[in-house]
Amino acid sequence: MRNLVTAALTAALLAGSASAALSVERGGVLHYGRYADSLFLDPVLNDANVDIWILSNLYDTLILPTDDGKGLEPGLATEWTVADDGLSVDLTLRKGAMFSDGSPITVDDVIWSLKRAANPDNGIWNFLLGSVEDVVAKGDDGITIKLKHTDPAILPALTVFNTAIMPKKQFEAAEGDTDAEKAKAFAEHPVGSGPFVLKSWQRGSTMTLVKNEHYWDKGEDGKPLPYLDGIEFDLLPDDATRILKLQSGEIDGAELIPYARVEELKNAEGIDMELFPSTRVANVIMNVRPQVDGKDNPLSNEKVRQGMNYAANKQAIIQIVTHGVGTPMSSYMSSATPLHTGEGAVYPYDLEKAKALMKEAGYEDGFSTSILILAGSQDEIGSATALQQMWAQIGIKLELQQVDNATRTQKYRDGEFTMRAGAWTDDIADPNEITSYYVYSPNIDAVHSGWKSEKADALFEASQKEVDQKKRAEQYAEIQKIYNATGPIIPLYETPYPVALRDKVHGFLQIPLGNNVFRAAWMDKQ
Amino acid sequence: MALLSFIARRLLQLIPTLAFILVVIFVLVRLLPGDPASAILGDRARDADVVRINAELGLDQPLPVQFLVFVKNIATGDFGNSIHLKVSVASLIADRLPVTLMLTIMAALIALVLSVPLAFVAATRRGRLADNAIRGSFQVGLSMPVFYVGLILLTVFGAQLHWFPVGGFGNGFFDQLYHLFLPALTLALSLAAILMRNLRAAIIGVVDAEYVDFARAKGLRSRVIMTRHVLRNALISTINLFGLQVGTLLGGAVITETVFAIPGAGRLMIESIYGRDYPVVQGLTLALAVVVSLTFLLTDILQAWLDPRVAQ
Repeated sequence: MRNLVTAALTAALLAGSASAALSVERGGVLHYGRYADSLFLDPVLNDANVDIWILSNLYDTLILPTDDGKGLEPGLATEWTVADDGLSVDLTLRKGAMFSDGSPITVDDVIWSLKRAANPDNGIWNFLLGSVEDVVAKGDDGITIKLKHTDPAILPALTVFNTAIMPKKQFEAAEGDTDAEKAKAFAEHPVGSGPFVLKSWQRGSTMTLVKNEHYWDKGEDGKPLPYLDGIEFDLLPDDATRILKLQSGEIDGAELIPYARVEELKNAEGIDMELFPSTRVANVIMNVRPQVDGKDNPLSNEKVRQGMNYAANKQAIIQIVTHGVGTPMSSYMSSATPLHTGEGAVYPYDLEKAKALMKEAGYEDGFSTSILILAGSQDEIGSATALQQMWAQIGIKLELQQVDNATRTQKYRDGEFTMRAGAWTDDIADPNEITSYYVYSPNIDAVHSGWKSEKADALFEASQKEVDQKKRAEQYAEIQKIYNATGPIIPLYETPYPVALRDKVHGFLQIPLGNNVFRAAWMDKQ
Repeated sequence: MALLSFIARRLLQLIPTLAFILVVIFVLVRLLPGDPASAILGDRARDADVVRINAELGLDQPLPVQFLVFVKNIATGDFGNSIHLKVSVASLIADRLPVTLMLTIMAALIALVLSVPLAFVAATRRGRLADNAIRGSFQVGLSMPVFYVGLILLTVFGAQLHWFPVGGFGNGFFDQLYHLFLPALTLALSLAAILMRNLRAAIIGVVDAEYVDFARAKGLRSRVIMTRHVLRNALISTINLFGLQVGTLLGGAVITETVFAIPGAGRLMIESIYGRDYPVVQGLTLALAVVVSLTFLLTDILQAWLDPRVAQ
C-alpha cells in the first residue's frame, strides 16, 4: 500500500515537473552577480576565465559542448566527419545562420576565423589547434580542416571559445593596423552569432547583453532562442554583498558562492543553491629539483612526497576548507575530464605509512619547508594551515608565505619556490590540456616543478596523435598511474561551481569547463 | 594679498612634489616581483607568451628608456593604455575618479554634519550623560572595521528594510547619490569619531581661555561667543586634522568600494596593482596625488582665513 502511495506521488510529481518543463516563459532581463569584471572580449586574444566563461553567449562555435561538458553537439556546423586516415575533418555549415547584425555567416568567415585562432602569433590558445595545417572551402556550404598529423582532440577543440566564428569583413573594417589593434576596437562592439549581443559595458560596474534576434537555435516552444530579453552582469566583488543582493531580490543569480555559505543558502527560502559539476581541482605543487636555493631539497625524494601525501588528511581538508562541498581527487585530473581513471582518494589518509615512508627516505626527524599561498585566499590559507598541522606529525615544519598572484607566478616560473597551492580548470573536453601543463615536461616543466618522466612524456606525445580511442584511453591510464604515484603534487579536492539562483530562474547552466550558458535560461513571470 | 601670494607659492611647490611622486611610483611599481604578463596569464604562463607580451608592451626595454618614453608621453598628456582593460588610462581615470571623489566628498560632509554639532553638545555638557553617550557611541563607530560597518548597514538598511539598494552605483546623479549614501555613511563614521573627539577637546580648551572670559565680561551673548570666538578658534586644529584625514578617507574608499560594489578609483587601483597594470597605477597615483595636494591647499587656505597668521 505504501509503495502504491509512493508510486502515485512520484507519478504526480513527474507529471508536475513535466508540465512545468513545457511552460517555458519568455522575456525578462536576468541580473547576474559576478565576482570580477571581464577584461577583453576577443575569443582569440583573451587570456582569463572572466572572459572565457561568458564568451559563448556572444560568439558561437562550430561545435557545442554537451551539458555534461564531455560530448559534442551541432553548433554552426550541422555535421562533421573525420577522414579515415585521420588527417582531415569535413564540416557542413548550418544553412541560413547569421551574425547578430543580420549578415550571413559565410565559408570565408569560418576559414578566416579558424586560421586566426590557429595562428601561433595570436594569443595563448593557439596550441589547441597546433595540428591544423590549413583550412579550405568544400563546396558552398562546407569546409575541410587539413591536419599536419592525426589529432584525437580536434573535434573538442572546435567547441573551445577561441575557435568561435567571427565576421571577417566587420573585423577587418575595425580601426587599427594590426590584428591586435583591430581586435581591441572590434571587441568594444562585438558582432558574433551567439544567443546574445553586447549592448553596453560600464567597466567595473555592469555589462548589458540583449537577445540576438538572428540566433539560429529554437526553444521548446518552437520559437527562436534565447528566451530572455537580456542579461545584466552586475559586478559585485565582495562575496557577502553578492549574496545579500541575491537575498534582497535585486539580482537573480550570483556566482562563486563561498563554500562556507552553501549550506545556509541551500536552506534559504526562494533560492536554488546549485552545485554544477566542474573540472576544477585544487592541489599543492612541489618543486622537486634536487636543489632549491642552493640547498638539498627533500621534496626531490619520491618517498618523501608519498609520505606527505599519506599524512595529508584530504577528507578533513574537504570538511574544513570546502565545508563538505568538495570531493577527494582520484587522479591529478578531475573526474569530469574525459579519460580520467581511478577510484577513491589517490592517497587515503594513513599516518603510519607516512611515517614509514619518511623513515625509509632518511627523514625520520622531518625537515623545514614552505608554501606560497595567495594573500587573502580563505581556501588556500585554510588548506595550508591544515597541512601545517597534519605534516607536523611527521616532523615537517611548514612555513606559510602569503603573496599576491603576480609575485607567486614570477617565483613559480623562476623555480624559486618549494611548494605552492595550485588549482586548475579545463578549457577543452579532453585530458590533453591539463596533461600538457601538469605532466608533459617540455611545455612548462610539469607545472614548473622540475618533475620529468620520459615514459609519461613519450606516452603523451603518442596520445596526441592516437585516434584509436581505446588505445588512447590506455595511454592516459598509464600516464595517470605514473603521475599519481610519483608526481610532484598533493591532490587536495575537486569542487563544483557553486551558483545561487532565485527560484524563478530555470535552465541556466554552468558546464564543467566553466562556461556560463544562458541560451536556454528563462524566468517565471511574477 | 598675503593670501594670494600664499596660494601661488603653494601651487608652485606642487610641481616638484608631483615630479617626485612620478619618479617614485614609476620605479616602485616595477620593483614589485612579477610582471603584467605573469599577472594576467597566472599559472598557465609559458615563457614564450610572457616574453612576447612583455615585448609588445615595451617592457623588454632598459628602465631608463622606458622612463624617457613615459615622461615624453606624460608631457603630451598621454598616460598610455591599460594593459589589461585595453582602454586609455585617461578615460579610465575620467570614469572612475569622479565616483571616488563623489563618495569622499559625501563622506566628508556627513562626517562634518555629525561631528560639529555633537562635539558642541558634548563639550558644553562635559562629563554629563549627553557627553558620555556621544563619546561612547562614536567610540564604537571608530573601533569597528570599515568593511564590517558596511556589511551591517547593507544588511539592515539594504537587504532587510529595503530603504537603500544593496550596493551598486546606479544611473543619473540623484540615483547615484542615493546609491552612495550608505557607503558614504560607512566611511564617514570613523572620520566623524576622530573629528568629534578633536573638536570637543579644542572647544573645551578654548572655552576656558581668558579672551572668552573677557568676551563674556563684555556682556556678549553666549551664542555670539560660541560661534565667533570659541568655534572659530577651536576649528583651526580640526580643519588641519580634517585635511590630513582626506588621504585616509581615500584609502578607506578602497574597502568601501569593494563591499558596496562601486566602480571607483580605489578598486581600480587595487586591481591594477595586483595586475601589475603599470600605466594605470602611474596615472591614477598622479591623479590621486593632485587631489590630496589640492585638499591640503584648500585646508591651508581655510586655516589662513580663520587665522591670518598662517599665511605670513
